[in-house]
Amino acid sequence: MGLLSILKKLRSNSERELRLLLLGLDNAGKTTILKQLASEDVTQVTPTAGFNIKSVLSNGFKLNVWDIGGQRKIRPYWRNYFENTDILIYVVDCSDHHRLEETSYELAELLQDEKLRGVPLLVYANKQDLASALPSSEVAQHLGLHLIRDRTWQIQACVATDGTGVKEGMEWVCKNMPIKK
Amino acid sequence: MLFLNVWSLLHWYLRPLIKWFLRKTTRLCELQRICYGDKAGAQRTCAVENSLMLSRTRDIKEVVAFLDAVVLERRFIPANFDDILKPSISIIFRIKKINTKLHPSFAPTLKRCLQQIWSYRQLVNEVEELRRVQYDSDNSDHELKLLKLWSLLQPNELLEGRVTKQWQTIGFQGDDPKTDFRGMGLLGLENLLYFATEYPQASTHVLSHSHHPKYGYTFAIVGINLTSMAYYLLKDGSAKTYMFNSKISLPNINLFHRFYCYLFYEFDKMWIESKPENIMEFSIIFKKFDIAIRSQLSDPSTVFRINIEIDNI
Repeated sequence: MGLLSILKKLRSNSERELRLLLLGLDNAGKTTILKQLASEDVTQVTPTAGFNIKSVLSNGFKLNVWDIGGQRKIRPYWRNYFENTDILIYVVDCSDHHRLEETSYELAELLQDEKLRGVPLLVYANKQDLASALPSSEVAQHLGLHLIRDRTWQIQACVATDGTGVKEGMEWVCKNMPIKK
Repeated sequence: MLFLNVWSLLHWYLRPLIKWFLRKTTRLCELQRICYGDKAGAQRTCAVENSLMLSRTRDIKEVVAFLDAVVLERRFIPANFDDILKPSISIIFRIKKINTKLHPSFAPTLKRCLQQIWSYRQLVNEVEELRRVQYDSDNSDHELKLLKLWSLLQPNELLEGRVTKQWQTIGFQGDDPKTDFRGMGLLGLENLLYFATEYPQASTHVLSHSHHPKYGYTFAIVGINLTSMAYYLLKDGSAKTYMFNSKISLPNINLFHRFYCYLFYEFDKMWIESKPENIMEFSIIFKKFDIAIRSQLSDPSTVFRINIEIDNI
C-alpha cells in the first residue's frame, strides 16, 4: 500500500460521519448514556419526551447519536428514525426483571424491520451496579442474541451513571463500522 | 475576544476612577446612585449585587462573605433579617461615609435589595437540595404526595392500585411514576403538586389540553422537563428578573413553584398554538420556548403574570 492510499484512507476515515440510533424501554438509561458520551453531567436527566441528538467525536469519527424516548406511546415513532442508521444501540435496564419480556419483544421487532437489516447491534446491559441486576450473559440469553445470524452484535455490561463500560461499547462500535463508500 | 480582554482590563483600572469622579460630582457613592437612580426591582437589585461583588474594599468583601455564610446555614429568613442586616448595613454606611440623617430613604432601600439578593441565593441551595432527594417509593411522605397529586388532578376517578396504567392519564410514562422523576427528584413532584393545589383551574385546563386527540402530550413528563428548565433558569441567575420583580414575596420556594406554574401555563399555550404533528416535535418546541423565556427574562423590566381570567371567559 502506497503512502498516498494510506493518507487517503486516514482522511476519509477522519471525515466519516455515522448515525447511531439509541433505543430501549423508558428508564433504561439511554439519555444518561448519551450524556456520558458527550461528557456532560448525568445527574440532572429528565424523561425524554420526543428525542435528543448529540454529535460526538470518537476515534476520528463523528458520531451523530439519536436518543429517542422509550415510552410506549412514543415507540410507534421509532421507525421514523430508522433510515440510514449505521449502528443500532439497544439499552436494557438489567434490574427491571418485570419488563425483560417487553424489552425482548421490542428488540425482536426492531431486528425484523427491513430498514434496519444488517445494521450491527450493540446491547448495553445497563445498571450493573444494582444488586438486583442480571449479569449480561443472562440478559443476552433472554434477548436471544445468540440466535442472530444476519448481523454482527455485541453485548456490553455497563453502569451509565458512572460511565463504566460505556467507552468499551463505543470502541466496539468504531471497530465494527459498516463499510460504506 | 481580544477586544473583550482589553475591555475587561481597562474596566478593572478605570472603574475606580469613574467611581471616584462620579462620587465627587454627585456626592453620592455608587450604591446610593443605584438605589436612587435605578427602578425598584430586578434592575436595581441586580445593579446593587453587581456593585457589591465588584467591590475591592475589604470590609465590603467581608459583609458579602458573612451573608453567604448565613445563607449556607439556612438562617437567612425574615425573622432574622433585622439581626443579620443591621450590622451589615451600618458597615456599608461607615465605609461609604453616608450620613443617615441626610439619607433616610437609603437604608430601607438597600435593605430590601440585600434581602432579595441573599434570599435568592438561599433559594438556589434549597431547590438544589430538593432536587437531590430521589423519589423513594418506600418513603410514605413521598407516596402520600404522589397519591395527593392524583386525587387533585383526577378527583372523580379512584386509583385501582398503586401500580396501574391509570397513571398515564396524568402523563406518566408507565404504570409506576416512581422512575419518572429521575434527576429532578422530589423537586419535580413538589412542582406538579403546587400547580395542582394552588392553580386548580389552570392545571385542569392544561391537563385537558394534554388529552387533546391531535395535540396531546404527556402532562407529568412535560412537567418534569419544565422543572428542569425552571431549575436551570434559577441556577444561572436568569430567574432573578422574575423573582426580584415579584410583588408577592421575596424569593422563596413558593415563588419558585409559582415561576414553574407560569412556565407550564405558557408552554402549554405555545404547544397548542404550534399545532405540532406529534409528540416528537417536543424537543424543538421546548427549545423554542426556552429561547423565548430567556429573552423575556433578559429585559429587567419584564413582569410575569398568569392571565387565567382571560381564559375562562
